[in-house]
Amino acid sequence: MNKPSTQQAILVYTLLGIALIVFMTPIYLIVSSSVKPSPIMFQRPPAMIFEPTLDHYRDLFAMRPFGKFIANSLIVALGSTVFSVFFGSIAAYAISRIKHKRMNDVAFWILSMRMFPPIAVVVPYYIIFKTVGLLDTPIALIIVYSTANIPLTVWLMKGFFDEVPTALEEAAAVDGHGLISIFWKVTLPLAAPGLAVSAVFCFIFSWNEFLFALMLTGSNAQTAPVAVMSFWSSDAVQWGRIMAGSFVILIPGVVFVLTCQRWLVRGLTMGSVK
Amino acid sequence: MSAITLRNVIKRYGAVEVVHGIDLDVEEGEFVVLLGPSGCGKTTTLRMVAGLEDVSDGDLSIGGARVNEVAPKDRGVAMVFQNYALYPHMTVRQNMEFSLKPLSLPADEVARRVDEVASTLGLAELLSRRPAQLSGGQRQRVAMGRAMVRTPDVFLFDEPLSNLDAKLRTQVRLEIAKLHNRLGTTVLYVTHDQVEAMTLADKIVIMRDGHIEQVGTPEQVYSQPNNTFVATFIGSPPMNMIPARVRQGRLEADGLLLSVPDRFKGVLAEDQAVTIGIRPNGLSLAKDVDHNTAPARVEVTEYLGNEALLDLRAGPHELIAEVPALGRPAPGAEVTVHFDPDALHLFDTASGDSLSL
Amino acid sequence: MAYIRKRNRRIFLIFLLPAILILFLTTIYPMLYAGYLSFRSYDLAKPFVPRVFVGWSNYQNVLTTGDFLHALKITFQLMAITLSIQLFIGVGLALLVTQRLPGMGIARTLLLIPMMISPVIVGLVWLFLYFPELGYLNYFLSFLGLGPVSWITSPDWALWAIAIADIWQWTPFIMMGTAAALTSLSPEPYEAARIDGNTRWQVFRYVTLPQLKPVLVSLLFLRAIDAFKIYDIIFVLTKGGPGDSTEVLSLYIYRQSFTFWQMGVGAAASFVSLIIIVVLITFFFKSLNRDPMQS
Repeated sequence: MNKPSTQQAILVYTLLGIALIVFMTPIYLIVSSSVKPSPIMFQRPPAMIFEPTLDHYRDLFAMRPFGKFIANSLIVALGSTVFSVFFGSIAAYAISRIKHKRMNDVAFWILSMRMFPPIAVVVPYYIIFKTVGLLDTPIALIIVYSTANIPLTVWLMKGFFDEVPTALEEAAAVDGHGLISIFWKVTLPLAAPGLAVSAVFCFIFSWNEFLFALMLTGSNAQTAPVAVMSFWSSDAVQWGRIMAGSFVILIPGVVFVLTCQRWLVRGLTMGSVK
Repeated sequence: MSAITLRNVIKRYGAVEVVHGIDLDVEEGEFVVLLGPSGCGKTTTLRMVAGLEDVSDGDLSIGGARVNEVAPKDRGVAMVFQNYALYPHMTVRQNMEFSLKPLSLPADEVARRVDEVASTLGLAELLSRRPAQLSGGQRQRVAMGRAMVRTPDVFLFDEPLSNLDAKLRTQVRLEIAKLHNRLGTTVLYVTHDQVEAMTLADKIVIMRDGHIEQVGTPEQVYSQPNNTFVATFIGSPPMNMIPARVRQGRLEADGLLLSVPDRFKGVLAEDQAVTIGIRPNGLSLAKDVDHNTAPARVEVTEYLGNEALLDLRAGPHELIAEVPALGRPAPGAEVTVHFDPDALHLFDTASGDSLSL
Repeated sequence: MAYIRKRNRRIFLIFLLPAILILFLTTIYPMLYAGYLSFRSYDLAKPFVPRVFVGWSNYQNVLTTGDFLHALKITFQLMAITLSIQLFIGVGLALLVTQRLPGMGIARTLLLIPMMISPVIVGLVWLFLYFPELGYLNYFLSFLGLGPVSWITSPDWALWAIAIADIWQWTPFIMMGTAAALTSLSPEPYEAARIDGNTRWQVFRYVTLPQLKPVLVSLLFLRAIDAFKIYDIIFVLTKGGPGDSTEVLSLYIYRQSFTFWQMGVGAAASFVSLIIIVVLITFFFKSLNRDPMQS
C-alpha cells in the first residue's frame, strides 16, 4: 500500500480524531471526575478547568479499607498468574512437542474450558468452597481464575513454542543435554515474550474479574472491583469515590497497553491472525 | 576398524519405508559425503547416525560398537545443522560453552577449549556477540566451532552451506576442507550440491529413493558411473543420454549410427536396448564425416567465457556439446558432431546399469 | 525431534498432567455438581430442607415458563447488535490506523485501552454517562440535536445502552486483530490491482476482504463466546431491567439462583446454556473444519 494523498490524509485524520474523542472520553471522565470536587461533578458544560482535589482518593483509602482490597486483588492476580503461567507453559510445551493424533483433542478440550459461562459454574463453586472452608479466601479465587488462565496460557505458549526451531533442541540433545535442561535453557528463554504476554493477560483477567469475586468473597478476601461496585449501592452514589477507585483499577491495564502494546497485539491475535 | 558402519540399515515411519537397507563403511579420518536429490534419505541417514532418529532395522556402529540404542550424547558425534541451530539468546562463547556443559569439565578447561577453537576459526573477536549480530559466514563458523569444542570422533554436517550465498559458499567450503586436513577427524557430510561433494569428499555416497546408487571417489563417480542415475546426476551440464539398439556391431539410434568401442565388444548382445551416455566434453565439432559423427543443427549457443555450450539437434536427439568458445558456430548452423569413442558410456536400458567392465 | 520425543515421553506427560488435572477438577467436577443440582429441589434460603430429587421438573420449569427462552432471545439479540457494529467500526478503524501516516501507532495504542479495562469499571463509567438527569451523554447528544434518551430507565433503550458500552469496550479488539492481519497481507495483489486500474472500493471488496475473512471469522467467534457470557456490564447498568428487557442468560441464571434461591432451576438453566454453547462451538469448528489450536 502506498502513501495516501493529502486529501486522503485529512480524511483519515478527521475520522480517527472523531474515533479518538469517542473512545477516550469515558477514560478522560474517569480521570477528571476522580479529582473533581463533588459540587461540580455534573456541571454543564463540564468543568474543564478546576482545582483538582485528592479528597476522593483520601476517602477511598482513609474511610474504607480500599488498600486492603487492592492488596487482595494483587495477591489473587499474582497468585493466579504465577500458578497458571507455570502449569500452562509446561503443558503447552508438551502439547507443542508430542505429535499424537489425540493431542488436538486435548488441546481443544483445554481451550474449550475458557468458553463456558462463569455463571453456570458459580453455584457449584460456591457450594464446594463453602464445604471445604475456602469461601472468602484468596485461594478460592486463585483456583477459579486459573481455570480461565491456564487454557489461555496453553493457547498462547503453544504458539510461541511451535516457533522455536526443533533444530535448536536437537543440537542441545546431541550435545547431551536432557529435556529439562533443554526446556529451561534453550526453549523457554526463546519463548520469553510469550511468557510475558501470558503473564500480562493472566494478571489483567484476574485483576479485572468481577462475577466470581462478587460471589465467592465477603469482607475478608474482597477484591477491588467488587469493592468499587459496593460503593455504588452503599454510599448513595459517591461518584468521586467510584471514579477514584475505577482509576486505580484501570492503571495496570493502561500501563501494560502503553508499555508492551506490540507483544500484547501479537499475543491476542495469535490464534485469529495467520 | 571403520569409524562408522551401517549394515542393512532401514528407516520406517509407520508403514512407510524411507531408507531401504543401507550398507556403508566410513573409515577413520575419511571425509564422506552423502549426495542425492531431496527426499533421497540422506538426511534421515545422517540423523540416524546422530541418534536423532531411531534405526528401524539393521546395525549401526560407531568406532566398532553397536550404537542403535545409544543416546546421541554417548556416540561421540557432533553435528552442524543446516540452519546452524545457534541459540539466539546466547553469545558465541555461551553457545560453545553450552555444548560442553554436559561434559562437566572444569571451568578453565572449558575456557581453554573455547578460546582455542575460537582462534582456530577466527572467532576470537566475536565471542561476546550474539548470533543476530553475525554474518552468515560467521554463524556458519560458530556452528562448526560449537561442534569442534567437544572434540568428537565424528563430525556430522547437514547441508551446512545451503544458506550461504554462492561466493561465501566457495570460501567456507575451502575452510572446511582445510579444517579436515588439519584435524583429520572423520566427517559424514550431507549435501545435494555435487560441487560441494566433488571438492570435499574422499568418498561420495550417491543416494536415491532410500537406496545407495554408488559409493566411490569423486573421480570414480564422475568417470565410471554405475548407472544412468549417477551418470546424469553427477556433472553439469548432465551427460547426454541417447536410447539405442545394438545392430550388427554398431549402435543404432534413430538416424544416428556409431561404432561400438572395442572395450564393449564382449558384453553386448545383438538387438540389445542400450543407452549411450556421453558428457558434453566428449562431443566435438568435426570437419569430416566418419563412423563416429552425425549431422546436427545448432539451436542455441551459451557462451561461458573459455567454453561455449551448444544445444544441438541431431534428428530426434537433443545434445549438449561443450566446445572452445573461440570459433563456435552461430545458432542455426549445420555442423558435424563427433562422438569421442573413449568418452562413450553404455548402459543397459532395461536395468539402467553400466555396461562397462 | 523424534529422539527427544521418544526419550522423554514420561516427562512430557508429567508436564501435561497438572494442567489437565487442575482443569478437570475445576470444570468437570463443578459441572457434574451442577448436573446433580439440576435434578434436585434446592432452596439456598432453606439450607436444612433436604434436597429432594425432582426428576426433570427443573428442566421443565426452565424450558416451559418462557423466561429462559426470553433470556436466550435477549442474549442473541444483544450478540447480533454488538457483533455487527463492532465488526463494522472495528474494520473501519483498522483501515484507518494501518494507513502510512505519522501518529498511527499512537492512535492504535490509545484505542486499545478500553479492552483492558475491567468490565465493572466500563459499566460504572457508562452508568455515569447514562445517569438519569445528570449523565453527560444526553448533554453531548443535545449538540447534535438528538435526545434526550432515557438510556437505562426505558425498556426500549436499555439494551442499546448495554450494547453501546460493550461496543465501546470491544470494538478495539476487532480493530486490533484486523489491523494486525492487514499489515501482514502481501502487498503484491494490491499493486497488481492498482496496475489493473481497479478503484479503491473494488480493491477492498475483491482483494482485501476475502483475505481478511478467516481472521474476521475467528475474531467474531471469540467475541460471540464472550457475548454469550456477558454479565458484568449488565449487572452494573440495569441488573436485567427495566422489567426483563435486558435479562440475558447469565442474569436469568443469577436471578433464579440468588434472587429466588432456586438453585436447582439455576443449575438446570446453566446446563442448558452449556449444551447450547458446546453445540455452537462444535458447529463452528466443524464448519470451519480447522484446528482451533493451530489456526
